[in-house]
Amino acid sequence: MTQPILSARDVVKTFGSGHTRVRAVDGVSLDLAAGELVTITGPSGSGKTTLVSILGALLQPDLGSVKIAGQEIATLGETALSMLRARTIGFVFQSFNLLEALSARDNVLFPAHLAPGGARAAGARADALLDRLGLSARAHAMPGTLSGGEKQRTAIARALINEPKLIIADEPTGNLDSHSGQEVMMVLHDVARDQDCAVLIVTHDQRIEEVADRVLWLEDGTLRDRKAEPRKLARDPVCNMLVDGGLSTIFAEHDGRRYHFCSERCRERFVADPQSYAAGGALATAAERSPT
Amino acid sequence: MLNWTLRELLLAPQQLVASVAAVAGAFLLVLFFEGVFAGESVQIVALIDKTDADVWVMQKGVGNMHMTTSFVSDWKVDAVAEVEGVAKATPILYMNTTIEAGGRNWFSYVVGVEANDPRVGPWQMAAGAAHPSPGGAVVPEIFASDAGLKLGDTVRIGGRDFRVDGFSRDTFSMANSISFVSFGDLADLMNSLGAVSYILVDAKPGVDPQALADRIKAQVENVNALPRAVFVAHDYSIAVQMGLNIIWIMTLIGGALAVLLTGFVVYSHVTERERELAVMKALGVHNRSIYAAMCAQALIIGGLAFILSLALMAAAMPLTAVLAPKISLAITADAVMRVGATALAVSLVAAVIPVRRIVSVDPVTAFQQ
Repeated sequence: MTQPILSARDVVKTFGSGHTRVRAVDGVSLDLAAGELVTITGPSGSGKTTLVSILGALLQPDLGSVKIAGQEIATLGETALSMLRARTIGFVFQSFNLLEALSARDNVLFPAHLAPGGARAAGARADALLDRLGLSARAHAMPGTLSGGEKQRTAIARALINEPKLIIADEPTGNLDSHSGQEVMMVLHDVARDQDCAVLIVTHDQRIEEVADRVLWLEDGTLRDRKAEPRKLARDPVCNMLVDGGLSTIFAEHDGRRYHFCSERCRERFVADPQSYAAGGALATAAERSPT
Repeated sequence: MLNWTLRELLLAPQQLVASVAAVAGAFLLVLFFEGVFAGESVQIVALIDKTDADVWVMQKGVGNMHMTTSFVSDWKVDAVAEVEGVAKATPILYMNTTIEAGGRNWFSYVVGVEANDPRVGPWQMAAGAAHPSPGGAVVPEIFASDAGLKLGDTVRIGGRDFRVDGFSRDTFSMANSISFVSFGDLADLMNSLGAVSYILVDAKPGVDPQALADRIKAQVENVNALPRAVFVAHDYSIAVQMGLNIIWIMTLIGGALAVLLTGFVVYSHVTERERELAVMKALGVHNRSIYAAMCAQALIIGGLAFILSLALMAAAMPLTAVLAPKISLAITADAVMRVGATALAVSLVAAVIPVRRIVSVDPVTAFQQ
């Protein structure tokens, strides 16, 4: 692997204290190289948002090291961190997060004000990005008039305007229909391939997993490389969610069988009345739902 | 960022208009009270200003006219007339008293003028004679509407009845009015035999009023002499000082009101746009740029409100003259500068209000649904 754009070592982040203490990220290590597309997936509450916030230089870890483009974020002050985010990282959010007062083109140009040369120098680049993402005709439209797919493509153009080395996308297809989701997925794939950009995506969307170079599974703050492991997926008998039986630590035995749960709450409900739920959710094999 | 600042304000134009109007209302309150005091002050110096003498001569130690008594021996009128550069010296008598008519009382300057010398008198008439004959008086026309007076009716001045010979214009204000009677009548009323109050001096062409005033002081004993502009300035500053505390209190109240309104608007913008601010921070915008944007928004609101308040005040002046003729309004450069400075201070203070809220916006929330 070439020099990684993003390098995290033994990252720990804890919230709360005493009985409410939660280790949201627990010893995560990760390298991400230019041109690589990596997805992180995992159940709700597994620490995805916390991890992605740390890897995006929005949150400092309690322990461990995070280097972005060679810069250790723990050593940077508020101004330097802002500058690092503006010039090195492009963000794509699930709910698009376009600025309502600005047109699509002005939204794309917004981060360019924070880069050397300013927005004037980036005008041509913004037009090219809008053209490449099929938004030329909608350049002057306000966010309120854009469709979900158009909003997300605008957000991707905004993320790319300063030619960042790292793109961090949080559920970029989460609020989109299947067609728009497919478009966005391909755009992100092309960004990694054509622009030699490291792309880190938090997602539940299997279509993105299919084009990813690596698929990482985050549960209880711990990261595993899912493609490298044979998986035993099980269905939570209470909420019907798929859980990795090999990694899950929340389970219960009933009638000689082991049941896995996405959360402690589901487990408690199961234990209170196992007969109501026991019909489904037995440990399934990877054959039931192939990860790749 | 400036682009976002402007467009964000325009995103809700009705809210912007309402905010600007509310803040302009607070500024208008300040301007209006300042305008009333300025208008009253202008009226207080109206006699000196409109009479247009080059130099005013008065008792030594006296430097103004408002609420003052001045006595100068009448032989000094001739002494002043003989000073080099004097074209004409005209004596007047003057007293502060109340005028009673129709069951009402008005505080008034009463000026005694020579009936056969039109040098001094009302500068604008509504009806009747401009110069009162013995036993007659020229009073402000507001008295007519307030007390139902007509020409030939009787008013009491200093305990003596006078016949109304004429109604003058531009001689009334809430604090003070100007009435004219004959010189002889006022001399009797004041029991001022052998004395005048002021001597009005017209200079010969080309003579500097200040130099002439200095010469009069040097050549005529126990008198003070002031060029008209200086005399006006003295009385005007006294009049303004009388209202200065009230003006400052009104400015503080109006300013505080404007701070609250502008602060509320800017704070609301921050709370309504908290998610956008989180996104901006995530994208790399520094806190100080967000402060600057909020500061710019407050300055825009303050600036627009200031301009609107001036426009409303300009519209209020002719309307007030018609609807409330007793109120004299004037906009002075001082008042405009004071309100302008207040608007600037208001904007800067208001921009500080949401600072803690801006700091507390966590960029991580940009990831939340």
